[in-house]
Formats: sequence, C-alpha cells, structure tokens
Amino acid sequence: MKQFTYCIEDPNGMHARPAGMLATFAKRFDSDIRVLANGKTADGKRLLSLMSLGAVHGTELTFCITGKDEETAAARIESFCRAGMKDTEEKKED
Amino acid sequence: MKANQKSLSVHGIGISNGKAAGTLKFFRRKGTDQSRIKTSMQTNDPAREHTRLEEAIKQAEVQIRTLYRRALETVGEEEAQIFEIHGMLLHDDDLLDAVKEELKGGKCAEEALDAGAQQVCAMLGALDDPYLSARAADIKDVVRQVSRCLSGETDDGMEREREPFILVADDLSPSETVMLEKSLILGFVTFRGTPNSHTAILARAMGIPDLVDTGEIDASCDGCYALLDAADSTLTVCPDSDQIAVFSEKQRKEDRIAREHDRYLRSLMNKPAVTRSGHRMLIYANIGDGSEVAGALSNGADGIGLLRSEFLYLECNDYPTEEHLFSAYRDIAERMQGKRTVIRTLDIGADKKITYFGLPEEENPALGFRAIRICLAREELFKTQLRAILRASAFGRLSLMLPMIVSVDEVRQSKRLLSESMDELRRENKAFDAEIELGIMVETPAAAIMCEELADEVDFFSVGTNDLTQYTLAADRQNPALCRLCDENQEPILRLIEHASEAIHRTGGWIGICGELAADLHLTQRFADMRIDELSVSVPYLLGVRGKVTECV
Repeated sequence: MKQFTYCIEDPNGMHARPAGMLATFAKRFDSDIRVLANGKTADGKRLLSLMSLGAVHGTELTFCITGKDEETAAARIESFCRAGMKDTEEKKED
Repeated sequence: MKANQKSLSVHGIGISNGKAAGTLKFFRRKGTDQSRIKTSMQTNDPAREHTRLEEAIKQAEVQIRTLYRRALETVGEEEAQIFEIHGMLLHDDDLLDAVKEELKGGKCAEEALDAGAQQVCAMLGALDDPYLSARAADIKDVVRQVSRCLSGETDDGMEREREPFILVADDLSPSETVMLEKSLILGFVTFRGTPNSHTAILARAMGIPDLVDTGEIDASCDGCYALLDAADSTLTVCPDSDQIAVFSEKQRKEDRIAREHDRYLRSLMNKPAVTRSGHRMLIYANIGDGSEVAGALSNGADGIGLLRSEFLYLECNDYPTEEHLFSAYRDIAERMQGKRTVIRTLDIGADKKITYFGLPEEENPALGFRAIRICLAREELFKTQLRAILRASAFGRLSLMLPMIVSVDEVRQSKRLLSESMDELRRENKAFDAEIELGIMVETPAAAIMCEELADEVDFFSVGTNDLTQYTLAADRQNPALCRLCDENQEPILRLIEHASEAIHRTGGWIGICGELAADLHLTQRFADMRIDELSVSVPYLLGVRGKVTECV
C-alpha cells in the first residue's frame, strides 16, 4: 500500500468540480483508492463519496492506494492534487 | 394583457443593469414526476427495466454533452463546467448502486431512479453543508434528464412561444436554463436563486435584465404586462400610465447609448474589413456545429475559418456513418451560400472521452495519440470523414484543414488518402469539388519551423495559437500559476506566425489565425503588418474585430 497526505488548498474545499476531477482521474488506475478525512473514508473513484467527506479548505486528506499500479497511481494522484486538483495532463483547445 | 388589475411592485436582487417591458410568462414543467411514474408502474420485469435504464442513461449522456457544448458557447467554460459535473454524476456509482438496488426490489426504472436519487439527496442533505445540499438540485436535474429519456420526451417541457416575454420561474435548473429559446426572452424573474444561480449567470452573459429572490409571485400575474428594472431591483406588474412613462424615458436614454455603439459596429458589417493602408482581412467565424451558422452570418462573417468537426462524433454513441456526416456538412455548406467554410478534420484524443473510439489512457494526452495521428493510423475512419467532406463540397465552398501536423510526410499521407477518396467517388459517380483547398493547422512549433516545406504542399495555413502557445512556451495556459508567463511571452509565437506568413505567401497561398489571439484587439495591427489574410474568431467577437481592422494602419 502507498500512502500520502494532501492538505486542501482550494478555498471552496472538496466541491463537485475538484471531486469530479479527482474521481475521473482516479478511475484511470486499477488500484483501490481510499481517501480519509474527518474520521470518514471515501472511495476515491466516486464523486459523491468524495464530496460527502465534507472536506473544506485546510482539511488534510490521507490517500491509501492499494493494487498492482499503486506506485504510479500514488505518484500521479499526488501531483494531480499538488496542481490544485487539476488535471494538468489534459489537452487544451486548439 | 389582463385589464382591471391593480399595479403591483415586486422587489428582489437585480442582476445586470438592463430594463425590459413585456408580458410575464410563468415557466411550467410538463408532466410531474409522479404522473410519469404512475403510467409505467405496471411493468415488473427487472431485467427489462435494467436495460431501459441503461439505454436512457446513454441517451442522457449524449444530451448532457450537447448541453455542455451549448453552455460553452453561450456562457463560457467556467459556467459550462456544471454540465461536466452532471456527466460525472450520471456515472456516479453511489447513485447508480442506489438505483440498481431499487430495481432489484422490483421497482420500474422511473421509480427506482426517483427512489435512488432521493436516497442520495438525503445523504447529502444530512451533511449539513449548504453547498452539498445544493448539489441535490444537480442530482435532481440529472435524474429528470434520464426520466425524460425513459419516457421518450425530447424537449424541455416548455410550450413554444412566438412573442418575446419576461420569463418567471421559481428557479431554473442548469439544463432548463440552457435549453431555453433565448431569442424570445426579454428578462428573467426567479422567486428564489442568488446572484450566482444559473439564470443569473446566463442573464449576465446575454446582457439581459434579471431579478432573483423575489419570493413567490402570484400565478394570477401570468400573462400580465410588466416593467422589469434590474438597476432598481424592481418588477412592476400591471403598471399605471405614469409608471410606464417614467420607465420608458429612462429606458430610452440607456438604449440610445448602447445602440449608438452597436450601430457603429453594424454599419461595418457588410463592408470588407480593410486597413487604412489597404490590406484586406477576411473576418471568419469559429463554430462548433451547424447551429452557429445563422449567428455567424448575421454578424457579418465572411466565412467559417474553423468548423470543429468533432461534434458529430461527440453526439453519437457509435462511429457516425458517411451519410450522417455528409448530410451535416452539406447542410452547413449550403447555408454558407458560397462563402468559404474550413472544416478541420477530426481532432480527438485520449482526453476527449469518446468511449467507442476505445483509446487507451495516456500519461500525457496533450502530447499523445490524437488528431491526425489517429486519423493516419485508422485510415478507414479518416476516409469516411474525407469522403463525406468531399461529397458536401459539391454543395458549397468547402476547404479541408488537417490538425496537429508536425511533418511534410503527414501531409503527403493525408493527400494520398484524399486522392484515393476522390478516385472512389469518381468511380461511384458522386459529385465533389476536385479543386477543394487543403490546408493545415500551424499549432506545433515543428510545423512553424518547417513552414517553407509545408507551404509547398498546401493551399493555406491556419494558426491555432492556443496550442502553439502551450507547445512553444512549454506551459499550460490553463494553469493559473502560468497565466502571466503565457501572457507576457507572446513574442516567440508572433515570430513563428510571421515566419509562416512569409512562407505561405511565397507560394501564393493564404494564412489565417483561428486561436484566441485572433480576437485580441491589441494584436490586430501586428497581424495586419504581417499580412495575415484572415482572422477567425467566435461569433460574439466578429463585429469587434472587423471594427478594429478598419482602424488599423
């Protein structure tokens, strides 16, 4: 299992948009992705589950990633978080 | 208008400073969710219900993608994101699991959908966070969309109106807002809502007055004449003659100023955009699909500089057929009445989620397997599109443009496929324009550097400045930390464009710009100096750019 923590920088907290981006991004990996915060555990691949953590600005999220691609998954999800929950790998228009 | 009713003043929060006078029209949703359930209660075959649900979700997905694109055009990317979230909600496992659980319990698809949504909304409501509770509205909106697909309804449930009106509603969901026939709406009034609700955002984007949070207005006001003054945050229902006189006077003054500017720009509309030193620039429109053709023409577009041909692929659940593509392209070609229309061939990649393409996830989609790279690897896919465009070229003035080119070889391969397609069509006795122009997007530094060799192969260049910027500066423009870096370093991109312009002019071709920089009025003079032949911008910018060109030296 790989583990890392990330403190939410978005002033709006874990809103639908970042949660949706995270869930979409997390679905790329086979590993099981758990996100812990406020004494609750969410499935990192589920939008509503992530939102219901009630994570706000400053909340510390603990990611626990288990599976065959856990190495890459952990590294890439961490950099995804550090980029402000934004998929910087995304292609832009024209 | 109803007679003998006393004047009534309603207060709320005014959004955007306009005024509107007209008939109030109360928004009504067709068929309540309850009645819909009753009609289908009888069915009790879980497997069948499951299939119906899956089908409806697929349809709803396509609709939501359409809404996303519409919103992108009318209100911009930031606000359109709500539909991206709706798309995600549609596939959210918590919601789907809840619904499937209900299906197993013997409920019909409609009932299960409602029950599942209620569970999830209750879960969100229990979290005691106003933002999350508000997401319940999004879940309901998504579920309503699926329900409509289940019942086979296609429209938004609003009756069709002919006369302009002021729309009154309790509140409007994002999809309801986007689906409204906007040309007839003079203003919005909502009982609830905030300055950040969807109607408010739309009203601002459209520049029409909006009053939110008025509290409930009695249904007897439906159909009454009213005055809406967003600056005063007031709606006056059944005004008396004095009120009308004061309102009209204020409105006249405001309108005069706005109209003068608009008239100046409109006066330029049918005149060629020529700089004072005599350089003619064509002002073209960037469009995403056929629905934008009318707007482009009524704003004086000299042609279409970029038709993003992805829309037909995004709207389908499987590869569109040649006939399907042909009829859409033909329709656009005909409606452009002989004006040039540049169709960019498929620009799709691992990031644009078209499931039926079956593209693998990539480490870095921006530098990945996309656009022309996919087309050259899947010749049949590409030729289907080429044949459709060629056939449509018999009905108007079409040009072909290849995206993401980095080498002469890619152009030659494309030309080989193009000439094969032409040979096939000849054998089949199908008409096409054998002289169809071929161009490339200059959006990679490689294309800009190799522009001399590339110019020998093609009729025109079109510079995609957004990608050219990010690839040249190695910086993602959407990354807030890099915005300034991109804004402050336009010079390298401008020099690449200048180089490309010289190269293509030497071979007698032409060059346009279709990225965001084309609409940047600070650069218009510079582009004129480089002898750029065409600027292609989205519809709202057409007149402004045309005006700017005439002011250039």
